[in-house]
Amino acid sequence: MRKIAIGGIAAVLLAAVVGAVYLTFFHSWADKSKPIVFVPKTVDGRIDFWQVLGQGVYLAAKEFGEEVQTVGAIAESDIEGQIALLEKAIAERPKAIVLAASDYNLTVPIATKIRDAGIPLITVDSGLNGGISRSFIATDNYKAGRQAGEAMANLATRDEPIAVVSFMKGSKTAMERESGVRDRMKEAGMSAVDETTYYSESSVEKAYEIVKQLLLDKPDLRGLVCLNEMTTVGAARAVKELGFDGRLKMVGFDSSTEEITYLEEGVIQAIVVQKPFNMGYLAIRAAVDVTRGRKVEPLIDTGSELITKENMYTKENQKLLFPFDAQ
Amino acid sequence: MRAWRPFRFKSIHTSIAIAFSCLIVAVTVLLTFNSFRLSEEAVTDNAMTYTGQLVDQVNTNIQTYLDNMVSMSALALSGGELEDAALARMPLSSEGLERNGKIGKYFRSIVRSRDDIATILFVGENGNVVSDREDAEFKPAEDLRSQDWYRNAMDAQGKVVISSSHVEHLYKGEYRWVVSISRQLGLPGLPGGGVLMVDLKLNVINNLCRQIELGNRGYVFILDPAGDLIYHPQQQLLYSRLKSEAIQTLLGTKDSSIQLEEDGDRKIYTIRTNEFGWKVIGVTYPDELVGNKGEIRTTSILVGVAFLIVALSISVFLSFRLTKPIKRLESLMKKVEKGDFDLRVEVESTDEIGKLSRSFNLMIGKIKDLMGQIVEEQEMKRISELKAMQAQIHPHFLYNTLDSIIWMAEMGKMADVVKMTGALAKLFRSSISKGDELVPIEVELEHIQNYLTIQKIRYKNKFTYDIDVDPDILSCKTLKIVLQPLVENAIYHGLKQQAVIGHISVTGRREEDGIALRVIDDGVGMSEEQLQSLAEKWRHGEDGKGVGLQNVNHRIRLYFGEIYGLRIESELEEGTTVTLRLPEIR
Repeated sequence: MRKIAIGGIAAVLLAAVVGAVYLTFFHSWADKSKPIVFVPKTVDGRIDFWQVLGQGVYLAAKEFGEEVQTVGAIAESDIEGQIALLEKAIAERPKAIVLAASDYNLTVPIATKIRDAGIPLITVDSGLNGGISRSFIATDNYKAGRQAGEAMANLATRDEPIAVVSFMKGSKTAMERESGVRDRMKEAGMSAVDETTYYSESSVEKAYEIVKQLLLDKPDLRGLVCLNEMTTVGAARAVKELGFDGRLKMVGFDSSTEEITYLEEGVIQAIVVQKPFNMGYLAIRAAVDVTRGRKVEPLIDTGSELITKENMYTKENQKLLFPFDAQ
Repeated sequence: MRAWRPFRFKSIHTSIAIAFSCLIVAVTVLLTFNSFRLSEEAVTDNAMTYTGQLVDQVNTNIQTYLDNMVSMSALALSGGELEDAALARMPLSSEGLERNGKIGKYFRSIVRSRDDIATILFVGENGNVVSDREDAEFKPAEDLRSQDWYRNAMDAQGKVVISSSHVEHLYKGEYRWVVSISRQLGLPGLPGGGVLMVDLKLNVINNLCRQIELGNRGYVFILDPAGDLIYHPQQQLLYSRLKSEAIQTLLGTKDSSIQLEEDGDRKIYTIRTNEFGWKVIGVTYPDELVGNKGEIRTTSILVGVAFLIVALSISVFLSFRLTKPIKRLESLMKKVEKGDFDLRVEVESTDEIGKLSRSFNLMIGKIKDLMGQIVEEQEMKRISELKAMQAQIHPHFLYNTLDSIIWMAEMGKMADVVKMTGALAKLFRSSISKGDELVPIEVELEHIQNYLTIQKIRYKNKFTYDIDVDPDILSCKTLKIVLQPLVENAIYHGLKQQAVIGHISVTGRREEDGIALRVIDDGVGMSEEQLQSLAEKWRHGEDGKGVGLQNVNHRIRLYFGEIYGLRIESELEEGTTVTLRLPEIR
């Protein structure tokens, strides 16, 4: 009887000590966990899109109590640089990797390696061939393209000649946007759409040159759909310079101060903007969900908005167009 | 089955230790839990007070900024120059431009002196536009007059209007987040009207809010009276409906702290309203206190366990100390059980245990006395019994002998009379002598010699005798008058009845386990049945034949112990041998 009693007391004490120790240390282990690595296409501070996406990433990180480490190449075109950074990240075995792939195909082998290393991979903005990632958070570019096409269909009549200026041959985003634009315009019965696609190679200067040449070659052009920010700015510059503003309707993509100025001036009639803040936020949320064993959707569309001169100052759109306080 | 009873253990030590432990565990758990509860409450209260103070501070600062803006606009309006500018029919005349330049310079000096103002702008109903910018490119006046700040100021009729946060788009290529404070000048409809607007940089407010740390996840946001967000760190998420905030509930709540559940997340809203109707709202997550709570819990448990271990050790020690004297008493009692009455307990204290020890000592003393008394009484009893037995021997024999002497005297056998009387006198002298119980065998033999002399005269021609004892046992002690009954028995029961002359021999030998004295006769003897009935009679203590032998046997056993005494061997028509065993005592 006595032995049982003493044994009982000892067991209770032991359990209490073990419990207390467990509580103390389990908490500190959780705190010392590894970060989530975020690899954007570029860490160039001048590019608003990635800045805003980064804000979304950090807001989510704060909300979910996770540490996020951002590593990335300076130039978007530096595919090798991004792959090298990913190699380094794998070695550090982060909790998860959130990647905006700089190339649809060339980044696949490293992504496979990430997956084989057992690190959850989330892709944001730009996906990978084969859909290796656990979740892909991006604008549905085909849908965004259709929005642009619809805007153009409302701006121009059916028989007016329209041209589409894309930014990169072989870019999945470009192709999706383009097919969205072309499909929607075809549905609207627009018959005079230029079958040729022009490429600006994501350069404002190149876009300016191309569009200037195009306007000189085809002065009867009445509509221009430009598929990214640089292309839109370059094209608007050419349109304004050649005095086509007003006569020629322009629908662009993404936003920048210059683009907005052209929108206010009436050079550009509509722009389709993405929601990079939401993209960053949702990407981290998906990464957190995966690490905490919750189910995630394989594909999350963050949506896009069509902005015109009329609706640009609504409170929602203001925040999309002007994500920062100008100092 | 035995009913279970708490605190029934084999030792008081265990019972006390377990009772103490249970008490201590219960008290510790209660105290720990209570202190945990209290500190949790204190932490929550602290956090709430702290949040309240922070939000108050933000609210006061914002109020100050807005007040400054309002007084600034009042100052700008008070000069009268703006009225002139608004009244001018031809604002673009050289005179008008000069005046505008003067006003612009004044505005500029204000804006430059403060870094929280983005711009100051006056728009007259007459289309005159004056700002702090030296060579700004304005949007058309029509365009400006359609903007919210202008229309709202007109509607407010001279009252100060504060806009929500918005992007100011007065100047080409300049998009700034600001809060506009606008006020109407003059009376609507009458000439000389217009609106003055001061833009407060939203950055100032944003930074105020952003600096506030409310835990890891908490934040501050600002609502205007219409429910629009002036600042919110998650504005984009709210607009995209990825998150929501119970804005309508918050708008209807006065300054206080409320707890709401949003997206399955509990949040505490601390609300402060300023004079302009803005609500500054601090959001904290009660779950975040869980981090703190966890720490408090861990500390509480650790401290509790430490106390528990110390307290339990003390309880074991205390119960040991308390029960030590009891245990000592117990061990002494065990010794007493084994028969040691010579011990005493040291009385060290005056408490119950001390009293018990004293009582124990008294009791042991008393028992010891009683035991002594009993031994003494037993001894007395034995002695008196022995005396009684010895006394039994004499009378019967005395009468017979005296009868024989009388008879011999009558017959004139004087020589026999002398011989017999002399032997009788010696016999009595030796049996009465000194009253010692133990006598040397020599003396006992002398006694039996006298006895046989007397009997030989009485029973002439009936028997012969011889005495054969080892000389070296002659000095050994024996009870006195033990042989006489044996010889008497041999004569009366063995030899008297037979016609032939019998023989009695008395022998004494040293044997392995003592001394054996034998009285051997060749008389009638006894059959097996007679021997058994004799043994039966001895066992039941009946009187009759063999009473003398029984007495001797009894006395020997009483005095020397059960292993000594008499043994009778007999065969019908052959004779009887009675063996008397004694320890060898010198």
